[in-house]
Amino acid sequence: MGSEIFKRGITPGKLPDTLNIEQPELIFEIHKSYYDAGADMCQTSTFGSSFLNLQGYRIENQIKELNESALKNIERACLPNRLIVGDIGPSGVFKPPVGKATADQWVSSYVKQVNFLEQGVDLWHIETISDIEEMEAAIKAIREISKKPIISSMTYTKTKRGFFTIMGDSLEKCVRILEDRNVDVIGANCTLGSDEMIGLIKELKELTNKPVSAKPNAGQPRIDLNNRAVYDQPIKDFVSDIREIIQIGAKIVGGCCGTSPETIKEIKEAINSI
Amino acid sequence: MSNDKFYEEITEAIVSLDKEKTIELANKAIQEKMNLLEVIEKGFGAGIRKIGDLWDEGEFFLPELMLGGTIMQESMQLLFPHIGTERDSISNGKVVIATIEGDIHSIGKTIVATMLSANGFEVFDLGADIPAEKIIEVAVEKNVDIIGVSALLTTTMIGQKKIIEILETKSIRDKFKVILGGAPVSKAWVDECKADGFAGSAVEAVNLVKNLLKI
Repeated sequence: MGSEIFKRGITPGKLPDTLNIEQPELIFEIHKSYYDAGADMCQTSTFGSSFLNLQGYRIENQIKELNESALKNIERACLPNRLIVGDIGPSGVFKPPVGKATADQWVSSYVKQVNFLEQGVDLWHIETISDIEEMEAAIKAIREISKKPIISSMTYTKTKRGFFTIMGDSLEKCVRILEDRNVDVIGANCTLGSDEMIGLIKELKELTNKPVSAKPNAGQPRIDLNNRAVYDQPIKDFVSDIREIIQIGAKIVGGCCGTSPETIKEIKEAINSI
Repeated sequence: MSNDKFYEEITEAIVSLDKEKTIELANKAIQEKMNLLEVIEKGFGAGIRKIGDLWDEGEFFLPELMLGGTIMQESMQLLFPHIGTERDSISNGKVVIATIEGDIHSIGKTIVATMLSANGFEVFDLGADIPAEKIIEVAVEKNVDIIGVSALLTTTMIGQKKIIEILETKSIRDKFKVILGGAPVSKAWVDECKADGFAGSAVEAVNLVKNLLKI
C-alpha cells in the first residue's frame, strides 16, 4: 500500500493513512488493484493509525475517523471469498533506554485502534515490529477485544551472528515468545530483501511448527531523479525467491516495500503453477 | 594500580554498560587529580570505540548503543568542569543535527547525536521537524563544522537537498560539511544533493565525521 501511495505522490511528511479520509477513491483503487491481481487477503491502510503513532503527527484526535474510513475503503474493494486484514504497525516510540515508552502505553494505544477495526476485519497482521515487547503489547491489545486470527511479523536485520531485530531480539527468542503467546501465524516482513528472506524462513521453519509467513522487500531502494524511492529488483527475481520461500514451507506470502499489484499477480500465477 | 590498569577498568565498565561503576571511576579520576585528558582518551574513549566495534559485530544493538552513549555523556559532564581551559582541546568539533521539516522520526537522529557527543563532539541537537532555514541559522550562529540532516521518509528527503541549495545561495557552502542520514539515503542521493557523506548507522556516522574533519 505504502509503495503504491508514494508512486502516486504524497505531500512530504504526511502520514499516508490520512488519505483514507482525504482521498478515499485513491485508497479504494489501490485495494481493488491488489484484489484484482489475485490477492487472497489485503491489509487495511492503517499501518500508522495506532494512537501513539498518530500522536507523533499530532492527529490522535482523528483515530476513529481514520480507522473507520480505512475499513470502508477496503470493504468496498474486497471481492467475494477474499479476506480483509487489519494492519497494525509500530507505534513509533521505543522503550528505555532508546525512548520512554512503556508496555502499558503500547497496549492502550493498540486497544484504541483495534476497537475501531474489529467490526470489519477477518484477521490481523501485526507487522514491522522491532521490539518483541511491543509485539506482545499489540497481541495483548488484540486479544482483549478480538478472537480473530493473528499473523505476527517482526522485522529482522541480518547480522554476523544471525537474524536479530534492531532492538537485539534474536529470531529464536521472538519465536519462543510468539509460540508462548499462541499467535496463529509467525512471520517476518520488511527490512530484508527477498533473497535474504529465504535464509530467514529456513531458520524460522526449523524453530516452529506454526504456519509461517513472509513479506519481504523488493531488494533495497535507491532514490530517483524525482526524489522517489525506487526498487530495481526485477519482479521475476522476487517471485523466484518467493517460490523458494514457499517450497521451504511458508504458508502465507506477499510483498512489502517496492512490490506492486503486478508482483502479486505473478506470485499468484507462480502459486497456481506449483 | 597503574594508570593503564585504571584505564582498562573504565573501558570495561563502559562496555559492561555499568553506569554506577563508570561514574565511580570518573569521580575517582577527579579526586586523585589524574590527567583527565588522558583518562578520557585512553579509558572512556576506548570504551565507546569498543561499543562501536561490538555494534559492528552484531553483539550490541540499539539499547546497548544508546545506554553506552548516555553513560559516556554523563561521565563527560562530570569530567568537563574539572578540565577547565583545556576543554576546547578535547572537543573534536561542533555538529548541528536535526530531522528535517515534515519528518517526525527522531530515534536515529538522537542515537547519532548521542554517539557523536560520546565521541567528544559538541553536539547541538535541534530535534525533529526542523525547517532547513533554522538548521542553517544555528549552524552559522554556533560556527559548527558539520551539519547533519536526517530524513526517514522518501517524501521529506528533498529537504536535505534544500539545505545544500540554501548554503550555496548564501555563498557559505564551503564553511560546513553536510552529512545525511535516514533509511532511504544512499550514495546516489548524497551525490545528487552534493552533500559530503552519509552513514548507515550511528557508529558509521562517528567514523564519517572523524574522516571529514581528518581526526
